[in-house]
Amino acid sequence: MKWGLYLLGGLSVILIGIQFVPNNLPTVETANPGDIIASGIVSDDVAAILKTSCYSCHSNESIYPWYSYVAPSSWLVAKDVREGREELNFSNWQDYDMMEKLEKLDDITIEVGEGTMPMGIYTLMHPTASLNDVQREKIIAWAEDAMDVVLEEEDEEGDEE
Amino acid sequence: MKKQFLLPTLAVLGLLFFQGTSKKTTDSENSLHVMEADMPANVKAVVDQKCYGCHNAESKNEKGKKKLDWDAFEASKRSKQLAAKGKILEVLENGDMPPAKFLENKPEGKLTESELATLMEWSKSKKK
Ligand code: HEC
Ligand code: HEC
Repeated sequence: MKWGLYLLGGLSVILIGIQFVPNNLPTVETANPGDIIASGIVSDDVAAILKTSCYSCHSNESIYPWYSYVAPSSWLVAKDVREGREELNFSNWQDYDMMEKLEKLDDITIEVGEGTMPMGIYTLMHPTASLNDVQREKIIAWAEDAMDVVLEEEDEEGDEE
Repeated sequence: MKKQFLLPTLAVLGLLFFQGTSKKTTDSENSLHVMEADMPANVKAVVDQKCYGCHNAESKNEKGKKKLDWDAFEASKRSKQLAAKGKILEVLENGDMPPAKFLENKPEGKLTESELATLMEWSKSKKK
């Protein structure tokens, strides 16, 4: 009995203690002129899916739920958002060059096709973000088309020069 | 007490894992295969020898196959090919491929300097 109490007491102290460690959540920025959706390359229904299922980690418009502010889950959220933005940031889409855009779109077809994105831990906490087969196919078909559009745009620009 | 067993157990598991993976790749490496004539022959030769074993449609290396499938490469559209080339250039620049873990067991799998140069030059070109 006593041991149990000590253990609980110890855990509580630790839990409270870690709340004082800064969480370093990446900052939120809502004005993103280079956003992929603003660029017009995303159809409305796909835009809606990206917003709900990907934007919290892959854009500057992350929406942080309550557990993002409580350690230790805050650390995990901060890490996922930091790494997610690094790999693919829809808010900074126009900063990518043609090859980067093609690679990212191709990665989207792979990750969404394999079901590795959105991350499982996220859909566990946010069931509405999980994708059904129809939605997956929609994203993949869109990304495939978008790759051709990106390439055509580049070719046209090349011709003008 | 249990901790004393943890390390040895992990080590054994680790060994099993490495053996498992290296065996898988050699299995598929020997397979002869045909690629379309589009890619320059010198590039194709390097790919066949150094990359194809893990990156083909039948590869048992699921992770490798998922990221890059040479069997699908030549039939795919130009935007897909460019995306693949971009990623190939990136892994070559970083020295990430073939994977370091694989090379531990199979140092002869490493790209020679001239092979690396061949692949780099090809992956930089925006043509087919
Ligand atoms: C909970 C946060 C989270 C959500 C939600 C999320 N991702 Fe990710 N994503 C990550 C992280 C972290 C990485 C980098 C690490 C990795 O590859 O696992 C990543 C990597 C990626 C990559 C790059 C993979 C590579 O091989 O380079 C793509 C593409 C991607 N995500 C697409 C998506 C798409 C599309 C969605 C929505 C359908 C999505 N992600 C939802 C966190 C997330
Ligand atoms: C021993 C097996 C093996 C060999 C040989 C090999 N690869 Fe890979 N390759 C992999 C694996 C496994 C992955 C997935 C790594 C990951 O997801 O972290 C991969 C991933 C890749 C990627 C995708 C990288 C990304 O993150 O998008 C490219 C491009 C690639 N390999 C190119 C090559 C090239 C070029 C060669 C030959 C010079 C080669 N590979 C040889 C196993 C191999």
